[in-house]
Amino acid sequence: MTLTPFLKAMSAVIWKDLAAELRSRELLSAMLVFALLVIFTFNFALELNAQERSNVTAGVLWVTFTFAGTLGLNRSLAVEKDRGCLDGLLLAPVDRTAIYFGKTAANLIFMLVVAAIVLPVYSILYNTNLFLPGLLLVILLGSEGYMAVGTLLSAMSVQTRTRDILLPILLFPVILPALIAAVKASSGFLNAIPMEEIQPWLNLLLVYDVVFTAAAFMVFEFVVEE
Amino acid sequence: MKAIPRALLVVDAAAFLMLVAASVMVFAYAPIERVMGPVQKVFYFHVAAGWVGMLAFFAAVVAGVAYLISKKPIWDLVGVGSIEIGIVFMLINIITGSIWARPIWNTWWTWDPRLTTATIMELVYAAYLMLRSGIDEPERRARFGAVYAIIGFISVPLTFLSIRIFRTIHPVVVGGNDPSVDGSFSMTPAMAQTFAFSLVTFSVLFVSLLWHRIRLGQLAEKVERLKLKLVQ
Amino acid sequence: MDAPAETMGYMLAGYGVIYGLMLIYFVSLVIRWRNLRQDEQTLEELDKEKTT
Repeated sequence: MTLTPFLKAMSAVIWKDLAAELRSRELLSAMLVFALLVIFTFNFALELNAQERSNVTAGVLWVTFTFAGTLGLNRSLAVEKDRGCLDGLLLAPVDRTAIYFGKTAANLIFMLVVAAIVLPVYSILYNTNLFLPGLLLVILLGSEGYMAVGTLLSAMSVQTRTRDILLPILLFPVILPALIAAVKASSGFLNAIPMEEIQPWLNLLLVYDVVFTAAAFMVFEFVVEE
Repeated sequence: MKAIPRALLVVDAAAFLMLVAASVMVFAYAPIERVMGPVQKVFYFHVAAGWVGMLAFFAAVVAGVAYLISKKPIWDLVGVGSIEIGIVFMLINIITGSIWARPIWNTWWTWDPRLTTATIMELVYAAYLMLRSGIDEPERRARFGAVYAIIGFISVPLTFLSIRIFRTIHPVVVGGNDPSVDGSFSMTPAMAQTFAFSLVTFSVLFVSLLWHRIRLGQLAEKVERLKLKLVQ
Repeated sequence: MDAPAETMGYMLAGYGVIYGLMLIYFVSLVIRWRNLRQDEQTLEELDKEKTT
């Protein structure tokens, strides 16, 4: 397998998604509005003082990302299916896995864009600094794992009758280890817990990312074959 | 539909007899545990049921891989049959785990790694069936089922690990006023024998149920073929 | 040494669940099998009528 056509195909997929999104901005606006809604709701629902808030910030952030991510995934693959782009992509003489990596990377970028807006908003609203390098690392690792599995599963769910409803049902049990690790690691960094206690979570997250990215790209072709 | 094969009848008889024998062992042979009392006896079939739940998942994954490679429909029947049986026995495992927890820790739920992981496995099973019910074409249904079984299977050990790490770093004091009661006990030889026999019994039971379930699936396929033939 | 805890009720509940759920699954298999057999016979009869 020569690398250059693979990378070309992959970047073509990424650019296609980014360009389409730049023009319509449907995906990002939906994810963003949702994310802000969640933050505001949590504020009124949980009514916390500064001390208690530091315990739940990590959880609130990741619940936000998880649900916004599901929204994004549903839209991303639904658009492909409805506009026939998926069939077009599959007709092209490119390695299926290039399509997989391209979609995953594009979805990941969307998730990171959402994070890039949620973090400053949260920081301002609650007067806490969330821009810690440790936290940013966790968000990157967590989002990668989430999107690696999410892209695969949404490619399946979009081909069923039940579609959007099915994705969370399929996704949530399976990303639970990554979610737990991400929340605990985030919380660790936010509360300046010693590194040895955070390390196991980071390791778990890394293992999850590697294992699932590998597994997902190996089975992806079975999901999109016709 | 073909008559029941001889081998299956043997397995059925064995499963039934062993279940009776295991039950006798549990109620009459194994002693009553000196701290927890009779409820400890739930342990024998509780663990055996959990074992079948995991065995079922493993069978489903093997079937999934086999299907993706060979595309033979029989593997899909093995897969869906295994998951179905897995759901039943995992549910037994979860509920009996809860029933055991209640008198020991004074709570219906303990968030310990095994019980929590069992519940998540159950959710993956349920998701698998919901995935399949949303697809009408048999080939795609089999393919997607296989893929999800594989992904789900990989996630389970990682889930267990994550909850384990959570509990090591944050040991949770679960309910109960007696700190010395932790649910563990040492097994006498009679208990160990009962336990081992229960595991074997349930494994044979699994084979019997799966075989019948596969036959059921084959009959269903035949009925579908007849229906299609009739409308031509 | 204290007597073991009075947990007979829980044990019975536990085994009720174990045997109960297994029985329910077994019965569901039997019912599904019967229904399919009936369908098979009906369809085979219809098929025979069609070809005669």
